Amino acid sequence: MDKSLHVVLMYLLVHLGLIFFLYPNDIISSSDEGQWMPIAIGLLFHFVLVWIYMKGLSFFPKQNIIHIYSEMGKGFATFFLLPVFMYLMLVNVIGVRAYSEIITIIFLSNTPSWAIIILFLSISGYLAAKGLEVIFRTGILLALIFIPIIFFVLIATFQNVDWNYLLPLIDDDFHFMTTPSYMKSFSAFIGGFLFLGFIAPYLTYNRKKVLMAATLLIPFFVFAVYIPILTFGHGTASRFLFPYIMAVDSTYINWLMFDRVTMFFILSLVTFIMLHLSLLLWMAYQIMNHWFPHQPLYSILSFTIVTFITSIMIIDWKAVERLLWWNSFLQFYVLLTIPLSIYFIGRRRKGRA
Amino acid sequence: MRIIPLKLLITLCTVFLLSGCWDTKDINHRSLPIVMGVAMEDDQYNIHLQIPDPDTDVMQVRIVSETGETVSQAVDKLSANMESRIDLLHVKVIVIEKELAKEGVKDLISGFMRAREVSPKALVVVSDEKIEPFFSNLNNTTDPQGTTLFDFFDKDAGWSPQIALTRVWELYRSIHSTTRDVVLPIIKSGDSTVIQHLGSAVIKNGRMVERIDPEETLLVNAFYEESTHGKVEVMEEATVLIVGNTMDHKSRNIDQVPYLNSQLHLKVVLLETIGKPTDKEIRTALETQLTNRFNEMFSKIQESKADVLGLGQYFRAKIPSEELKKWRSEHYPKLKMEFEVHAVIRNEGQIKLGAD
Repeated sequence: MDKSLHVVLMYLLVHLGLIFFLYPNDIISSSDEGQWMPIAIGLLFHFVLVWIYMKGLSFFPKQNIIHIYSEMGKGFATFFLLPVFMYLMLVNVIGVRAYSEIITIIFLSNTPSWAIIILFLSISGYLAAKGLEVIFRTGILLALIFIPIIFFVLIATFQNVDWNYLLPLIDDDFHFMTTPSYMKSFSAFIGGFLFLGFIAPYLTYNRKKVLMAATLLIPFFVFAVYIPILTFGHGTASRFLFPYIMAVDSTYINWLMFDRVTMFFILSLVTFIMLHLSLLLWMAYQIMNHWFPHQPLYSILSFTIVTFITSIMIIDWKAVERLLWWNSFLQFYVLLTIPLSIYFIGRRRKGRA
Repeated sequence: MRIIPLKLLITLCTVFLLSGCWDTKDINHRSLPIVMGVAMEDDQYNIHLQIPDPDTDVMQVRIVSETGETVSQAVDKLSANMESRIDLLHVKVIVIEKELAKEGVKDLISGFMRAREVSPKALVVVSDEKIEPFFSNLNNTTDPQGTTLFDFFDKDAGWSPQIALTRVWELYRSIHSTTRDVVLPIIKSGDSTVIQHLGSAVIKNGRMVERIDPEETLLVNAFYEESTHGKVEVMEEATVLIVGNTMDHKSRNIDQVPYLNSQLHLKVVLLETIGKPTDKEIRTALETQLTNRFNEMFSKIQESKADVLGLGQYFRAKIPSEELKKWRSEHYPKLKMEFEVHAVIRNEGQIKLGAD
């Protein structure tokens, strides 16, 4: 059944959740001027990898990547799926920990982080245990309710923009390529499309529409970085941990009865993140289920407990940053090998047929 | 069947979690100050807070004060001594004593930005008199809601175009910017009105270095394309009302000397005339008056090396960014500024020009 709308909306939500928190700071601290260049390179990666991934998957209609790898042999499947599994679990732990810390930094300053972690894990675990259909239908609901808010806030943040900060446009050296923060920024560029390979037998989609969704994301990728820069200038924006949130905080909307639109914005994004987490848990379950067939509830319960314990053990924000840095290597490995291997397996099989 | 108890459990958990009742203090146990006064006394911050106290029938305004090593310590002490918790979430105006402004407010503002308790949208104001008499006068004359000071700066209420409007985040930006300084309004408690506006303080790197009068502040606001609508300009020949303004800038950098040509386009309507001036005479008078005033102000602020007009911004593409870091000390003092005013009299009112 063609469920392009579900997939497209999920694609948008997952990426929106990734774009607005950590990514602006990563890009801003990676380059002093001409930030469009790192963004453009990141987007290029995003498009090329998504295209290769979807092209590769299109050789195997109604099969997900687990089926594809296991057809090639048991050792082969383990070789590719084990890093994916590790990556999913690591992203889950980091995601839960980082976003719970973000919430305490931004607004719930008195709440202990374990309570926020439980909230994150219980909701996303519940969604994941219910299966793919439920996750995607929740996605539609969240998109309908919250995307207008995101849009409104995005337009409102143009209020304090000073276009002179756009200049100078060109940064003549490419030193940003080697900075750790640019590596970390790739979690927004390539961290969100892995799910396309897992949903195959349940949901099918039109490749063009997903690419269109990716195109729709370009302004978000650009503005999340440029609005803080145009509002504060690079010198000041680079001092903030969450530059975009700061820019939202400094917009003054006279006629709105709510004083801090930031709250609506952040809470909308948090729901997107919960959705992403549930998708990660579900994918991890799929891989686990392939090795040891079982009920979703058992593995998801144990995943959430493991995630809970590990994320409690991470004590401070510095540790989160270090984990994000380590994770970027695994992420590069996984998100380069999976699309490319799927593509080549597909090409080979087509050649043989 | 097995799943039903689990469902129940999850539902129960979410009931407890989603209520958000964690360490919350109800609104009646919170004090929400709207004005905060900060002064420095013997290396200690002296904090005044104006707190509206909603009673059953009338609203009362309370002023509390405390000293501490830091603002947070003072607020914390106050919180401990009061029956409710102080929440700085709704502070709208921050009044800084002139002496403190001259010493520098860098750490104070960074603290506000870091802790995120005070909104970055709060306005920053400099008080010309001591903070103590200022607050007691404010309390004596203030309206029962206690929002006088906030209304004074509200664009929908008492704001006028010759009053500078600078928010916490703008002040923070100016401290860390190489090409931009800010002006803060200077006020004191007035005799017949609650507040008297005295002009603006020029803040460079978080320190007050110069002051300009309200008329000059109007030009600063015009420069930022803040609307100057409603400002009355009095000249020898006539009195006009400004109804529209736009700016144009052209920047050049020749032999390490920056040149800037700025043109202010004004639309005015005629209010009163003295004698029988022609259209052209009125316009020339207005143009020379504003140009002279601008040149006077500009030489003053250029001397203090404070770029309150953000002129360095126009050279971002012309001067390499490494050089631009020295903008205030090296390039800005050399800047040659050409300021031109082009006025258009949009209409002459109900009576034809020269008819009476």
